[in-house]
Amino acid sequence: MTRGAVEWDRRPSLPMTHYVHPAIYTDEGIFGAEQEKIWSKVWYLACHESEVSEANDFRAYRHPGGKNLLVARGEDGKIRTFYNVCPHRGNTIVYTPAGNARHITCIFHAWAFNTKGDCVEITREKQGYGDRLNKKDYGLREVRTEVGFGGFVYVNLDDNAGPLAEFIGHALDGMLKCLETESLEIFTYHQAVVNTNYKFWHDTNSEFYHDYMHYHNRQTSMLQPSYWEREYVPFPNGHAQVGDQVVKYEAYEGFKGRHLSFPGLERNGWKMVDLFPGFTYNLRGSALRIDTVLPLGPAKTIIEYRGLGLRRDTPDERAQRIRDYDSIWGPFGRNLHEDLMGVMGQGRAIGRGQTYILHAREEENKIHDEIGMRHFYGEWSRRMGRLASDPFGETGGTSRA
Amino acid sequence: MSRGASQGREDSGAIVDAVRDLIYRGCLLLDQNDFQGWLDLCAPEFHYTISAYSPEIRREVVWLDHDHEGMASLIRMLPKHNSDLTPLTRHASVYTVENDPAAKEARAVTSVAIFSTSLDGGATELFAVGRYHDVLALDGPAPRLKRRGVRLETRSLGIGKHWPL
Repeated sequence: MTRGAVEWDRRPSLPMTHYVHPAIYTDEGIFGAEQEKIWSKVWYLACHESEVSEANDFRAYRHPGGKNLLVARGEDGKIRTFYNVCPHRGNTIVYTPAGNARHITCIFHAWAFNTKGDCVEITREKQGYGDRLNKKDYGLREVRTEVGFGGFVYVNLDDNAGPLAEFIGHALDGMLKCLETESLEIFTYHQAVVNTNYKFWHDTNSEFYHDYMHYHNRQTSMLQPSYWEREYVPFPNGHAQVGDQVVKYEAYEGFKGRHLSFPGLERNGWKMVDLFPGFTYNLRGSALRIDTVLPLGPAKTIIEYRGLGLRRDTPDERAQRIRDYDSIWGPFGRNLHEDLMGVMGQGRAIGRGQTYILHAREEENKIHDEIGMRHFYGEWSRRMGRLASDPFGETGGTSRA
Repeated sequence: MSRGASQGREDSGAIVDAVRDLIYRGCLLLDQNDFQGWLDLCAPEFHYTISAYSPEIRREVVWLDHDHEGMASLIRMLPKHNSDLTPLTRHASVYTVENDPAAKEARAVTSVAIFSTSLDGGATELFAVGRYHDVLALDGPAPRLKRRGVRLETRSLGIGKHWPL
């Protein structure tokens, strides 16, 4: 039976935890509140330590809290993060996404900084400032930085935030042996800029019901009995782990089983953890994929994809890991393109009279249960101080809670 | 001028023309999504890669890497997948062709701009720019592609693509 406008716009007769209001994906005010209440408060996965492997390496990037940041490894080996802003006249100090420099010099007036963030040179300092200003007081603005959980560099714009380990909690415990037994190294990186809301991407990573979209996953995973035993485990702070599985890659024409693995990972094994509010550790067989969302607006998102192997890989091993990764996850891979089509389609539809979005499947937390999304939106609602299903308080508490 | 030297130049010119013709015919077949027709232009030892340099991680990145059989499988499996069907159109200019008679092969560098034209409304946008770095076998009646390295300058590819470029 089709529905008219009244039925289409009517709230589902479901618990309010089991659907969300479409405005959370489109509203400018909600997006601004997310920047303030979520992105400026959580630990954000900025890059991997292998992107700044040498002293004086730096990596510049945009933070969704609205800041341009600069991750740098000092000559003391420590990784720090700074605003990528000259304290003199507010110019950008690093224009390239990555590099190596003992001193980082602002092109505007040639103030220079070392990779510990100290100001080491103010041009014609005495002539212009006399004793009224001293370069020791004009270092870069440092941002809290911790490295962990596989050597990833996390930053937090909130000076008063708790430690990274408190934020992650035990969410990555099931993957730690794979991540930390040996050093990891990045081997690929790309961005997808998509006209969609960042939460649609994290939603996709947080549910497997959409495997019907992926021929590859239907063949290699859904047809395997262990697929249906995968179970979601929610963790505090909005994180969720998906139960492990062994994938039968050879079930897809032209693919072979993956002979490379990670320490502590069963051959052809698959482990996955979604971290609030938009990071995913996805370890399949021979490669680790890390997703990081960078929301630019309610309807525009950059998604960063990083592929990692083991630092000790031989050239042949590394090449094989790259081929394995690309076969499903590169920009020309079989799965990633389909996932991105899905969220692009949601972004296209959401602004045109979309109704409530359902997160209502319950299958005892098993693989097609939508507990992952419900858990995410529980944390989102807590941090935002409004329900994802009723962000404007329209129900007055009359709907089913 | 000796007749032999003149004949050699004519032969070389014919080879250059044949190489250009093959590259351009390949573009037309790819534009028509006749991927099998395009693969038929390739030698059995064909190797295909799509790569770029990532300034973000200061590394070479390889995004597709297949031999002939790998490309054949990829093409055969396309109908099983959900793919963005927005057509791609290639504008190619063969910059250089270097004939190596001793190796019975030629090397060609082709600049390529790839445009996408939306199915709904027909708006055209640039999808990617880059170069084809080709090695062509000259040991048969017509040149065949032995290697194609698609070297992309464009790294922001939207939702990506299931098709060879």
